[in-house]
Amino acid sequence: MEWAWLIPVLSFIAAPLIVILGPKLPGKGSFLAILAIAAGFVIFWAVLSGFLGASPDSSHCETSADTGSLVCDYQQEWFHAGLASLDQSVTLTWGTLIDPLTLAMLGLVTFVALMVQVYSLGYMKGDPRLGWYYAVHAMFAGSMLTLVLADNFLLLYMAWELVGICSYLLIGFWHERPAAKEAAKKAFIVTRIGDVGLLVGILLLWSEVGSFSMSEAFNAATTGAMSEGVTTTAALLLLLGAMGKSAQFPFHVWLPDAMEGPTPVSALIHAATMVVAGVYLVARAFPIFQAYDGDALLVVAVVGLVTALMSASIALVSVDLKRILAYSTISHLGLMMLSLGAFGYTAAIFHLLAHGFAKALLFLGAGSVMHSTEAQDIRQMGGLIKVMPITAIVFSVGALSLGGIPLLAGFWSKDEILNAVSQNRNPVFIATAFVVAFMSAFYMARAMFVVFFGQLRQGLDHAHESPWLMTAPMMMLAVLAAGFGLINFNWPGAFPGFGGLIYFHEAEDFHFNLWIGVLSTVLALGAFWLASLCYLRERISPDILRQKAPWLAVVVENKYYFDEVYQWAVDRLVLTVSGFVALFDRAVVNDVGVNGPADTVRRVGFVLRLHVTGHLYSYALAMVLGTVGLAVLWWLRSV
Amino acid sequence: MVPLAYFQLVSAGLFAIGLYGVLARRSAVLIVMSIELMLNAVNINLIAASSHLEGLANFAQFDGQIIAIFVITVAAAEVGLGLAIILRIHRNRSTVNVDEIDLMKW
Amino acid sequence: MSSLEQTALFLIIMVPLLGAVLTMFLPKDRPGDAWYFAIGVSVVCLLLSLYIFVSYDYGAGGFQLARSFQWLEAPINIDLSLAVDGISAPLILLNGLVLLGAVLISQTIRTRTRDFFVLLQALGAGVFGVFVVRDLFFLFFFYELAVLPMYLLIGVWGSSTDFGSFLRTKEYSAMKLFLYLIAGSILVWIGILALYVKSATLGTPTFSLEDLGNLAASGSISEEFQTWVFPLFMVGFGVLAGLWPFHTWSPDGHVAAPTGVSMLHAGVLMKLGAYGIIRVGMVLLPEGAENWMPLLITLGTVNVLYGAVSAMSQTDLKYVVGYSSVSHMGYVLMGIATLDPIGVGGAVLQMFSHGIMTALMFLLVGAVYDRAHIRDIYVLNGLFGRMRVNSFFFAIAGLASLGLPGLSGFIAEFMVFTGAFRTYLPLAILAVVGAALTAVYILRLLARTFLGEMDPRWEHLTDASPVEKAVGGVFVVILIGVGVWPEPMMRVINVGVASLPGI
Repeated sequence: MEWAWLIPVLSFIAAPLIVILGPKLPGKGSFLAILAIAAGFVIFWAVLSGFLGASPDSSHCETSADTGSLVCDYQQEWFHAGLASLDQSVTLTWGTLIDPLTLAMLGLVTFVALMVQVYSLGYMKGDPRLGWYYAVHAMFAGSMLTLVLADNFLLLYMAWELVGICSYLLIGFWHERPAAKEAAKKAFIVTRIGDVGLLVGILLLWSEVGSFSMSEAFNAATTGAMSEGVTTTAALLLLLGAMGKSAQFPFHVWLPDAMEGPTPVSALIHAATMVVAGVYLVARAFPIFQAYDGDALLVVAVVGLVTALMSASIALVSVDLKRILAYSTISHLGLMMLSLGAFGYTAAIFHLLAHGFAKALLFLGAGSVMHSTEAQDIRQMGGLIKVMPITAIVFSVGALSLGGIPLLAGFWSKDEILNAVSQNRNPVFIATAFVVAFMSAFYMARAMFVVFFGQLRQGLDHAHESPWLMTAPMMMLAVLAAGFGLINFNWPGAFPGFGGLIYFHEAEDFHFNLWIGVLSTVLALGAFWLASLCYLRERISPDILRQKAPWLAVVVENKYYFDEVYQWAVDRLVLTVSGFVALFDRAVVNDVGVNGPADTVRRVGFVLRLHVTGHLYSYALAMVLGTVGLAVLWWLRSV
Repeated sequence: MVPLAYFQLVSAGLFAIGLYGVLARRSAVLIVMSIELMLNAVNINLIAASSHLEGLANFAQFDGQIIAIFVITVAAAEVGLGLAIILRIHRNRSTVNVDEIDLMKW
Repeated sequence: MSSLEQTALFLIIMVPLLGAVLTMFLPKDRPGDAWYFAIGVSVVCLLLSLYIFVSYDYGAGGFQLARSFQWLEAPINIDLSLAVDGISAPLILLNGLVLLGAVLISQTIRTRTRDFFVLLQALGAGVFGVFVVRDLFFLFFFYELAVLPMYLLIGVWGSSTDFGSFLRTKEYSAMKLFLYLIAGSILVWIGILALYVKSATLGTPTFSLEDLGNLAASGSISEEFQTWVFPLFMVGFGVLAGLWPFHTWSPDGHVAAPTGVSMLHAGVLMKLGAYGIIRVGMVLLPEGAENWMPLLITLGTVNVLYGAVSAMSQTDLKYVVGYSSVSHMGYVLMGIATLDPIGVGGAVLQMFSHGIMTALMFLLVGAVYDRAHIRDIYVLNGLFGRMRVNSFFFAIAGLASLGLPGLSGFIAEFMVFTGAFRTYLPLAILAVVGAALTAVYILRLLARTFLGEMDPRWEHLTDASPVEKAVGGVFVVILIGVGVWPEPMMRVINVGVASLPGI
């Protein structure tokens, strides 16, 4: 376990190597990144087995009083800010913290990153900047793994920013396209706004606790050493960062645009790993959120609910395959937040993993479709199962899983969330959550039916199945997207179940609430049936809603006008202020403040120079008169 | 011993002549000569005062003489420099009439 | 080595000074000679500064490598006393690095080459002098020596900006810069004389920083006197540090100056101001400093936000970088004003980090200007297509300036935030917002100028020359190195900061 730091470091080493040596290596050095992450995946299993064999008595390990689970922490001094002997100084550390939550995230990130990087070999084949692509991928993997391993908030923040910049670089990978360039900028700046909150929150915790260590901050929050006001403020500030990264309302606008990046990037960064960092942060800082009766968690729940509902509705009407998936991602991230907000810690993490596998699979499937058809609009697709059967089947597995069809992974995880919400929040939440679940199943069904089933569209005859480099990773992900739900069950004596591994204070046994299970099954099946009527058998025209409530359709299709409002705010407010300040700097500071005195001096000089006549006599006379004057003055004073 | 006032009278006379020369003459050479007169008037004054005050408290013995020597040195330098300037002006403008030398005014 | 130990500080002033004098005697018709000679001189300077930095014993702390030469004896008492501590050692290294970079990059200077390098080396000597002397008289002397050549360097070798509606001739910028800095110097000189007279009334008149520091530490300088004199130093040195609202010379000056001079100017010269506030203001007038720090940190915050917001709507590449310097010097001023070990340490690290970063930016912008002969970010686009290394380096410098972890700017800004958070919470939050604004203008610049579709008229542009690549590469490595492993820098700075009074 003490070697866990190697997992990110290997990828960090790979990144500059690819940049420097890449051009001379076969495949532009892409294999270095894959080797690094594959090694990381192997080390993950070693760490996992080490952790399962560890007990609170092992060195560096203890049972955390804040979360109730086993935690192992390895620290290495990094640098001192302020002379160590001074009271106010602080020593910063590299530290890896290993607990069940970290392990779950490590497994997800290493596995999905490995799959996506292998897939990219096929998808990005022949790209002139392949080396750069893999270098940033390696950089991203290293940063993301650091993020989940960090044992202090500073390290977490650093990794948080690094994944942001990698996301920026990969969204803008095809920066010659203006849309990609703008989307990259937007993604970075919108999340950066949230990061201001995160950094202020971290500094606030530091000023209260005197250390960046997470466990000390948690301790202060749970033992009451930190006052209620500060704790809640800190929690809300951290939430701000989480909302930016996890594209929660009202910061969600960047994620759909981020689809301008290469599709494997969307699968890895904007579906499975980076965007869940916000959820991870809330889960990681759960002791702070949950302290003092969890007032902050209510905000988390509301944010999650609003996000889930709003983006699910947009996904219903979107016609761009990747954007449907993007809005679906936002919606599911909202569900995870809702779950955390309803004290459903285990359920949120379970859904995070299940969604991560399924959504990565869906994106890779969409990439496979786009790779072969070069289209992105679902209206130009149809019946692709006939030409690319493997893609169609694995995509359907992902769609059914996320749609919540029973026995697939998504069903179990969604069920857990609904369970938590029904227990801990008021009926409005659970009712809305069911609506979201229905919509989620419906848009998934829509995408699946329109793209893969029905008549093969004209002009798609040339479409072909993708190479095995792309299908193999998809198939592996499909296995997990379908069967991951199995680890939810506990086998007494042999395996404690997911809830027995990842929990907050109390281990949870697997439980199944009958009426929720039945209702969600009915809703999911109903949604798929309805979608098949609309899009497959075309019994019902999907336009019926548009005719009944045109204004609603317009509002939803325009994504509730968020982009327009933000654009207006940026153009009208920010740039105006900036222009004003720049003008102020030139007109007031420079022209009045600098040129003003200079002009005054010049004018005074203009007047004063008139006494310079150029005649020697006048000067000499002035001298004489001056001397005489002084003499008289002196004489007058001495009398 | 000649009273101090006599020296001062001579000195004042020389100074007045010099001053008149500086103010009334047009030729730069004459002006320089007049300045020399004024400087020498001061020298006479200084040496006379120095010898008169000899032995009085608070005055070093040769203060006046020392300053006079300084003045002579400065005057010599000034004549050298002044005549050089006048020579240059004469070369350039073929005149040493100070009325016509007014380039330095605004 | 002991002889080097005794003479290193003296040599680091004298080598560039003698270099400047000797350059005057080089043949006029072979401008290349002056360049090679200046490279030789600045390599020696860099080696000396490396030696000084490395040999500084952070375990022992205090002033080291001390040496004193009597210049004017009693009753005037002026000594050329030299020493380094934890604050000046990194800055000496910074000057060594940037000076060599600036000299190398000035290969493109074609007119009056010899005179250019004379002035550049004199400037370098002045900066080294300020960082190593421990006597106010010589501090001021070297301070002026560093400032005065700027006028000629900008006025003769600079470039004018003309946007039609907006005209800045190089002469205007040079004059503006010069007048501002001289006005600042006057305030500083008044302050120095006030201290000198004060020390005379307390016993022996002295310019020695050490003796004056002891006087201050013993409490014999009254608080009232300190409160009156401190603002002279705060504003006087502050002008050179770009303190708002006296910053206006800085963007114009940076823009008009030739590349090498911009690098030295923004990279090192502005740090003299901040260094002066620490070394003279904080050490000699600790109580005055305490009374005035709320104002200084407020102005520093204004610097941060005002610079960032102004940079957002600039259309000239160099003006963006110029205003970003104003913004980043704001963090330095904020850090100093926190009077907190982390905050002041962050300020010193920010001086180093910003020095490297901004020198790199000016280098790269200069490289673009040399080739495209235009700096308008609405006209330049897609330069990545032709200038890969240049754009890549610029991206790294830009990311360092927006505080990306892993690069030195993050560590420094983070420490400033941390220090300010403990002392002036609302201003610290505003400064964090300022860091987010930095992202806006840096990304806007990157997106407009370096990324995107390339206009066919930039087809002819060539990538950075080997010299530019080498200098830029070294700077990039330093930015990353300090960002990943700041301890070698921090342990020196920590010792220096800890010995300041009031901390």
